[in-house]
Amino acid sequence: MAPGGGRFVPVIRLDNVTKVYDHDVVAVRDVSFEVPKGQFVFLVGQSGSGKSTLLRLINRSERPERGEVWVAGRHLGDLADSRVPYLRRSMGNVFQDYKLLPNKTVFENVAFALEVIGKPRHVVDTQVPLALELVGLAGKEGRFPNQLSGGEQQRVSIARAFVNRPLILLADEPTGNLDPGTSEGIMRLLEEINELGTTVVMATHDHRVVNEMRKRVIALDRGVVVRDQERGVYE
Amino acid sequence: MIARVAYAVRETWASFRRNLPLTTAAVLTSAVSLLLVGATFLIQRAFENLLIQWRGDVEMIVFVRSDASPEQVALVDQTLRASPTIVDVDKLQYLDKAQSYEEAKRIFAGDPVTLSLLTPETIPTQFKVVPVAQDPTLVRSLADQYRTLPGVEAVALAEDEFEVISTLSGFVRTVTLVMSLVLLAVAIALIWNTIRTAMFARRREIEVMKLVGATNWFIRVPFMLEGLLQGLIGGVLACGGLWVLNSAWSSGVAGFKPGTGISSLVVPDGYLNSTMLVVLAIGAAAGAVGSAIAASRFLDV
Repeated sequence: MAPGGGRFVPVIRLDNVTKVYDHDVVAVRDVSFEVPKGQFVFLVGQSGSGKSTLLRLINRSERPERGEVWVAGRHLGDLADSRVPYLRRSMGNVFQDYKLLPNKTVFENVAFALEVIGKPRHVVDTQVPLALELVGLAGKEGRFPNQLSGGEQQRVSIARAFVNRPLILLADEPTGNLDPGTSEGIMRLLEEINELGTTVVMATHDHRVVNEMRKRVIALDRGVVVRDQERGVYE
Repeated sequence: MIARVAYAVRETWASFRRNLPLTTAAVLTSAVSLLLVGATFLIQRAFENLLIQWRGDVEMIVFVRSDASPEQVALVDQTLRASPTIVDVDKLQYLDKAQSYEEAKRIFAGDPVTLSLLTPETIPTQFKVVPVAQDPTLVRSLADQYRTLPGVEAVALAEDEFEVISTLSGFVRTVTLVMSLVLLAVAIALIWNTIRTAMFARRREIEVMKLVGATNWFIRVPFMLEGLLQGLIGGVLACGGLWVLNSAWSSGVAGFKPGTGISSLVVPDGYLNSTMLVVLAIGAAAGAVGSAIAASRFLDV
């Protein structure tokens, strides 16, 4: 029985996944785990331990050499390239460097995520303010990214990831560029989103954040899972 | 749907303006190449005016005086048919006054002075002779014989009349065609490069679009429209150039001495218009092809 309990349908499942990059560099080796719907999971480990690769396998930016990746009951190996955009609409992505568009305002950055998947104007006009309200940026819709602090920029990127109400939120070192106080606010926000029902998978090497949250921890070392612990700590 | 179309148009226009120097280069190159493509068509059509009376391997034309009696015409016909070893009698063609006048209208399209001297009543009728063997000396020997028949006004041989023009026309066609194809390839490459650059400039946006689940077509379409627009604008410029060139040429050759044949080298307006449409279509297609290649190739940013 996977950690998290069998009464949930796993929203993410990896079966013996191995990913090898060019020149025989093994990024992840024989990794298996399940994530039930609504769980909050940390992937921890040193740089190069394979955390980001796992996230990229889950959003199908990468494909494994061996093993299977399942998301929301779909085997990604069988998913046609043309279906990948629809898979991505069920997940939000947050990154260390925010990936905001500098020539767009806060509102436009968040709206962009809805516009490019063809959502009509009235959906954009109702959903974007809700998302900005949730992340605590109401009133800053007209600012540009370079007029915001790092923490605020990360909140914009979280609003963009969440505005389409995804099933899964993938966060790659979201607090990597932020000071401890600001990180805490971001973590509270991710927890809040998790409580709204979104499964959160967060890759990090931020000890403090992991130890304070007491969530499930999957530890990686050179591409291998070395620990999988409920309510774990970083160590 | 409306949101998507509005998005595509907005993005196309924004990108178009952002890359103005490269866009200008691509547009001008496609304009020049399309101008040459169009010019090739027009030159061919102009030469055709001169060559039309020799179409279908006709090597000799026997002109019969307009006042010749039906018996005299019948005699020429009989004489021609009496040499089946030299004359291909199945292909022997007789143009009566009305048919000859229609043909003359094309030959002298740019030479109204000569044309005005001809009427359907005064025009010579003609026998068009296709030889059985490609041996000019045999045909030539017959020609002298026909000249002496009653009612015959003149005998014209293709060899004398149009060999030079035919060779010239073939040469010009080859040169302009090759040049326009090369330039068209350059234009496609430039459009390709412009779109590639435009996509590179917007790689962050494309990355975000892919992450939030925009389809590849959604990402591609504005870039393809941009390339198509570049080709189309090149086509419009080329059409303008063709019109100016053709007007200048038509008024220029009208000054030549009537009857020299040079003044026949003009193109009717209807043909000019359809050439312009073809040029626009080729421009749009070249733009779409160049940008489609770029958009598919460089989507993985």
